[in-house]
This record gives sequence, structure tokens and C-alpha cells, in this order.
Amino acid sequence: MASVAEVRAAVDAALQQVTEGQAAIQAAREKLGEAQQSLAAALDGSAHDAVGAAHASLSQADQQLEECLGATLHAVEQAQTYTATL
Amino acid sequence: MSLLQELGAQLRATSDELPTGLVTVAMERLRSATELLNWVRQTSVDTIGVPHLGNATEHAEHAVAALRTAQDAIAAYLGVLGLAADAGGPPDRDWKAGLGEPERVQPPPEPPDRPPPPEQLGPWWQNRVSELTGEAPPRPEEVPAERGRVDTGELLRRVAAGVRSGDRARLGRDLHAAHASTGLALSAVTPPVLHRLAGDLLGHEPRPEDVPRLRSAAAGRVRSLLPGTPPAVLDALIARICRAPAGADTRTHPADSAVTSSVLTGVLLARLGRDATTLDPAAPEPLRRRDADA
Repeated sequence: MASVAEVRAAVDAALQQVTEGQAAIQAAREKLGEAQQSLAAALDGSAHDAVGAAHASLSQADQQLEECLGATLHAVEQAQTYTATL
Repeated sequence: MSLLQELGAQLRATSDELPTGLVTVAMERLRSATELLNWVRQTSVDTIGVPHLGNATEHAEHAVAALRTAQDAIAAYLGVLGLAADAGGPPDRDWKAGLGEPERVQPPPEPPDRPPPPEQLGPWWQNRVSELTGEAPPRPEEVPAERGRVDTGELLRRVAAGVRSGDRARLGRDLHAAHASTGLALSAVTPPVLHRLAGDLLGHEPRPEDVPRLRSAAAGRVRSLLPGTPPAVLDALIARICRAPAGADTRTHPADSAVTSSVLTGVLLARLGRDATTLDPAAPEPLRRRDADA
């Protein structure tokens, strides 16, 4: 039979996974920022459609990662509120 | 090296270093967390953050797609420069991105003078491992001193080695010896590995029509090593590998997909004739065969 301690531990284990996911996203955003700078420097002066598409896709990726991170923060808050009431 | 070649090399390097692997790691961690929370809440009206995690996972999926689009655009531009055929792409290492446990993804270590907190989920994990493998937990005096110190990547390599040797007792020992959080994280690290190994075995990217072929290649061995695993768990894993629709069942015990996916990894490796050490992120990339028969 499950105990409150076990439920709390299971939620904590899930939150640990979320924390690791958040760390990976933050690391990915750092790398993405570096890639955007590198691409901007290398392709300065190009007006080719493919270059515009690359820049736009990288910006979109960064925006998605930012929203991803925001959603995980809400999830963590909700889960912590829940375990606090147990 | 000409100026044009230098520009091409720089663009290729930028494209290769885009963090698709890191985002995939994050996505799988979030999926694994969702699976665990779904199991915890089941009949509760409190969502415990599950919908937010679903949104987060979706954003991560979109981010990966956007990164791939950026890589395609860079490749197209290289073609415009006349450099497309200069060199083949680098080996795809994303599939092993979750196995290395890089430091930046790890939580800060506990201070050395503080004893580790007791593991609340230990008995819960071990009970389920016993049901799945048919192997009882070791007696306290048989528990190795290193219990729980292995990371998830190392646990996966141990499980794969146990599968290769066909030794169910060893498989049970390795799984029992893991901490619950380490074992549950197998669900997060195995999906890209399984997709890659299945692709290598099939000789092409796994497709929905490959489900029966993959099932016949793996099911018997998985069942012999995990007699207690529900068939639906393996079916769901194979459907996911092949990007085929699978019914989501939140009633599945979270340990089931974690353990079964690690054993399936071992079975596919064995079918490919590869050693568990090939899962080491530092190991050379195995050669991919194309249009092979499984």
C-alpha cells in the first residue's frame, strides 16, 4: 500500500526529471545563441532566401525553448503546491 | 583553403553544433516526468502540472523541428555556394546524447559530509522489478556497496550486457541495484537509442508498417527475459519507435516502460551483433547498413 511519503517521493522523482530537462534546455539555448551569432557573422551581407529561412528557424527554435521552459516552471509550481498539501 | 571553402566549413560547423541532441534529451526527460506524474495522479482531479508538462514537451518538439529546418536551410545555402557535395555530414550522435549524463544536466552533488537521504521509492521499484523479471530482490548482505551510484547511461549498458548474455538473474540484479530515479530515467534515455538501433536493424528509418517485423524480431526475447511485462507495454514501445499510433495508457506502471525499453535496447543490440559498450557516448559510431533484412 502506498504511503504519503511514497507519493511525495514519486512526484519528487518526476520533478528531478523536469529539472534535468530544464538544465538541458538552458544549455541548448546557450548553444543556440552562439550558433545565431556565428551564423550572423558568417552570413553578413547575404540576402539569399535560405539564409533568411535559417535565421528565422533559429529564432523560432529559441522562442519555443523559452516557452517550453516557462511551461515547465508552471508545472513544477503546481506539483510542489500539490505535495505541500499532502 | 579558399575563402569560399572556409565559409562553407564554418557554416557546416554551425549546423552540426545546433543543439538538437540537448533538446531531444530535454524532451524525453519531460515525457518521462509526465508518465510518472500521470501514474501518480490517475484518478485525482488535481492535474499536478501534467498539462503544463504536455505543453512544454510540445514546445520542445517544435524547437527540434525548427532546428532541423535551420539545418536544411543551411544545407540549401551550401548548395547555392556550390559546396553541397564537398563532404558528407558528420556522424549522427544525437541518439546517444542522453547517455553521457553531461555535468550541466546533473543536479549539484550532495556535500560529502551529508549522508544520502533514504530512498523512499526503493521498495516500490524493487517490487515491480521482481514482478517484471521474476527475480527476487537481493538480500541486504548481497547488495553491492556501489548500489545506486551508477548513472542511467551506465545502467542501460549493464542491462544491455545482461540481455546479450541471456542471464536473467544478472539482469534482475542490475535492475534491483539501481535507485528508482535512475531506473525510471531509462524511459527518458532509451527512445532515441531504440529508434536508431531499430533503423540500423531494418536498414531504413522505422515506419509504421515495420511494427510487425520489429515485434517478431524482439518480442520473444523480451518476453523470455521479462516474463511479467504486460504485452501492451512492448507494443506501445514498438509503435513509438515506428512512429505508429499507440493508445496512451496511463494505468501502466512507470517502471514497466523503463525496464522494458532497456531490455528492448539490449535485444536490438544483440540482433545487430553489437556489444553494450557501443552505447558509450565516447565509442565510435557503428556503421549503418542500408536496406538490410531484420
